[in-house]
Amino acid sequence: MLDFVVRPFASAGRGTVRILGSVGRAWILFAGTAGALRHPGIWGPQLVPQLARIGVASVPIALFIATFTGIVMSLQASYTLTGTIPLYFVGALVGKTMMLELGPVLTGLTLAGRVGANISAELGTMRVTEQVDALETLAYDPLAYLVVPRVIAGIVMFPIVVLLAMTVGIVSGWLTALQLLDMSSPEFVKGLRLLFEPWDVWFAVIKSVSFGAIVTGVGCFYGLQTERGAEGVGRSATQTVVIASMIILCLDAFWAATLL
Amino acid sequence: MSIRIVELHKAFGPKEVLRGFSLEVRVGATVAIVGPSGSGKSVLLKHLVGLMRPDMGSVLVDGESVPDLGRQDLARFRRRVGYVFQFAALFDSMTIAENVGMGLKRLPGWSADRIDHRVQECLSLVDLEGMGERYPSQLSGGQKKRAGLARAIAASPKYLLYDEPTTGLDPVTTSVIDELILRMRDELGVTGLVVTHDMTSAFRVADRITLLHEGKARFTGTPAEVRAARDDVLRGFVEGDPGLYYGLQGRGDHGP
Amino acid sequence: MDFKDGGIMDRRREIMVGLVVVLGIAVGVVGTIWLQDGWGRDRVTIRAASTGVGQLVEGASVKFRGVAVGRVESVAVVPSGEAVLIDMSVRPDLIIPTDAAVLIAPESMFGDWQAEIIRRDDYDTHPYLDYPGEGVLPGVALPDFSRLTATADEIAQNLTTISERFEVAFTEETAQNLGRAIDNLGEVSDRFSEIINQQAERFDALAEGVDASTRELGAAARAARVSFERVDAIVADGQVQKLFADAGAGVENLRNLTETMEASLGDLQTAARQADATFARLDALLVAVQDEDGSLGRLLADPTLAEGALDAVAQMRDLLRDIQQNPRRYLSFSIF
Ligand SMILES: Nc1ncnc2c1ncn2[C@@H]1O[C@H](COP(=O)(O)OP(=O)(O)OP(=O)(O)O)[C@@H](O)[C@H]1O
Ligand SMILES: [Mg+2]
Repeated sequence: MLDFVVRPFASAGRGTVRILGSVGRAWILFAGTAGALRHPGIWGPQLVPQLARIGVASVPIALFIATFTGIVMSLQASYTLTGTIPLYFVGALVGKTMMLELGPVLTGLTLAGRVGANISAELGTMRVTEQVDALETLAYDPLAYLVVPRVIAGIVMFPIVVLLAMTVGIVSGWLTALQLLDMSSPEFVKGLRLLFEPWDVWFAVIKSVSFGAIVTGVGCFYGLQTERGAEGVGRSATQTVVIASMIILCLDAFWAATLL
Repeated sequence: MSIRIVELHKAFGPKEVLRGFSLEVRVGATVAIVGPSGSGKSVLLKHLVGLMRPDMGSVLVDGESVPDLGRQDLARFRRRVGYVFQFAALFDSMTIAENVGMGLKRLPGWSADRIDHRVQECLSLVDLEGMGERYPSQLSGGQKKRAGLARAIAASPKYLLYDEPTTGLDPVTTSVIDELILRMRDELGVTGLVVTHDMTSAFRVADRITLLHEGKARFTGTPAEVRAARDDVLRGFVEGDPGLYYGLQGRGDHGP
Repeated sequence: MDFKDGGIMDRRREIMVGLVVVLGIAVGVVGTIWLQDGWGRDRVTIRAASTGVGQLVEGASVKFRGVAVGRVESVAVVPSGEAVLIDMSVRPDLIIPTDAAVLIAPESMFGDWQAEIIRRDDYDTHPYLDYPGEGVLPGVALPDFSRLTATADEIAQNLTTISERFEVAFTEETAQNLGRAIDNLGEVSDRFSEIINQQAERFDALAEGVDASTRELGAAARAARVSFERVDAIVADGQVQKLFADAGAGVENLRNLTETMEASLGDLQTAARQADATFARLDALLVAVQDEDGSLGRLLADPTLAEGALDAVAQMRDLLRDIQQNPRRYLSFSIF
């Protein structure tokens, strides 16, 4: 009778329990992964392959995106800066936005798709085909064998990929300015240097370290709790991309609020 | 007493799979667990290596209470146990040889050469010589199953848990595997638990046979005792007679 | 078999990872150093002293003939508080003129300040601080554009005050002095207008506001001048009141103009120290003389008044010349 009154509370309660459950499991995964660091014998040999898969293999897509971002930034900056503001500000704008925002965040979001979904699908498939169980019966800690090398690879390689992407983005913006905007190199560089601070680079590095940890961590989290076959694997991959992207954007705001 | 399961209960949500299952396996003995599909045989085996935790009851293997083992102890305990997965569960990013050698790499004192040697040995035991460089996706179902078996026996465990090691194999290969299980018991003194649907196989390899029915051990006895048993459910299962197996209990919760 | 480590694939993968990591770090480090403009070149330090530094901070660029030649290393006030010492690191091969001085002024529209090494003769009107010490260059901090409007505001303010005092006593000579001052003001505003017109293309929209303002400034000054030119005819006449109404209107216009300029340029500070000083002196004189011997006529005949006004105008001229030379300094925007 009072069902319609009670129902919203019931679903609110269920939602709360679900979220708390997720947070709890994430915490367990985090603590377990930190603990699994004690077994370098297990994760050590996995590290190079993961560095290659997560980092090196992500370089082309990251650079591709950075190249076009640089071009677009340059063109749009020149479009915005007509008249009042001297053209060399194109350099300042491209450099600053590349370093502070677009380099880390665009790369982070792209890799949330490329790396996060990949990890999640791989671990998910391993989970549903009992390969994770098989690892355990062979006395391998799955956290040490699967999660630790991926998270470390993310933490190490994301900043590297982002640094490369930032550089390529700025260079492509520069070339665009030279070719399409009739700017001179000294002009662009003047703008570039105008607002540059070394902290910008650190900021990008700190951001991308956190993004690397998040993307790989979320991928492992959803991958390892995959259930119900191929559909479950698909769902885990989707969830990874959605949740990792959301966390990246929140973290982005968080870092901007705390570090700038 | 080397494997001792007492009053084991396990439910998934409302579905009670094990409802007070008890079983004892002596050191060096091989016990076959039979039961219809979905009766909880795989669930039972997973409790023995700590892949699942019981809701109630105790699981003692080699004197250790498996559910109470911490991470470290569990890892150490698992080195003494080999587990043959029902669907092989081979690591599909590795070759068969790497799969088989996986457990050995974790053991102290195993050089690359020694592992290599042992892997070849195990592969030939399951008739997979020359398949070491292939990937799991390049093998047939039966070959994968045998590779999984080779992986389980590679580290010469004291306990072997076989989850349907012969299902889906041709009669000849089935005999080869059955022989292998017997050799494990006779030559290495391995304590075994074999889950199977195949009564012929069960009769051949087992010292004792247990029927898992409705979450409990319905009947436990030697192959001879099983053959002679008058229990309708057991006879229904052994003879493959649904009339007997389901008939007398009215509505069973295991549909045909 | 893969249990012996170091397969060809593994080695290749390790090399790739190593390459990417090294490349990434190198790009980060080299890029940072390059963008910081600090290639680890040799530097020499030169020191300048001034009474103030405006908004000059560590790391600001040092220019010579418009070219960046170094950075400000430190800005510190001396213990006695009478001077600020500015240390700058510059290229060692730079030959600094013997009569060098340092001009501290805004560099860009972002309000960044710079230290410019100049020949003192070229900008000899500024009040440089000559601080004792080997090789310490004399320096001066220029008022920025906000000071220009503040100065205009001050002028308007003081014209009002003077006009009000005129209502008490008024002589022909005073009128002439003031007329001259206002003449100058008109001239300044004309030149300002001219500059803005020259720069109009560059400054587009912004210039419109400023241009309108300067036209008003000109109109105001001319109105005031017309008023004062009529002084000859109306000395000791009852029309004085009307005259002051006219002058008052002109001054009001001038003040409006100042506000408009402030609004259109935004982000302006309030004080014009030199203008302050000038007008404070003027004000004090006015009050003192009025109080002491009540002879306002004598006071107004005193050339210092006109000189004070002329001083203010001269300061505006300086600023205007600077605007003409470095128009980009005087625009304050914030994009980020
Ligand atoms: N992780 C799980 N979550 C929910 N239910 C499960 C889970 N694992 C097993 N079950 C349920 O437990 C019951 C027993 O499963 P189990 O795999 O043990 O059957 P089985 O006896 O091995 O059957 P088969 O002979 O077909 O392998 C099944 O009904 C299954 O749906
Ligand atoms: Mg099963």
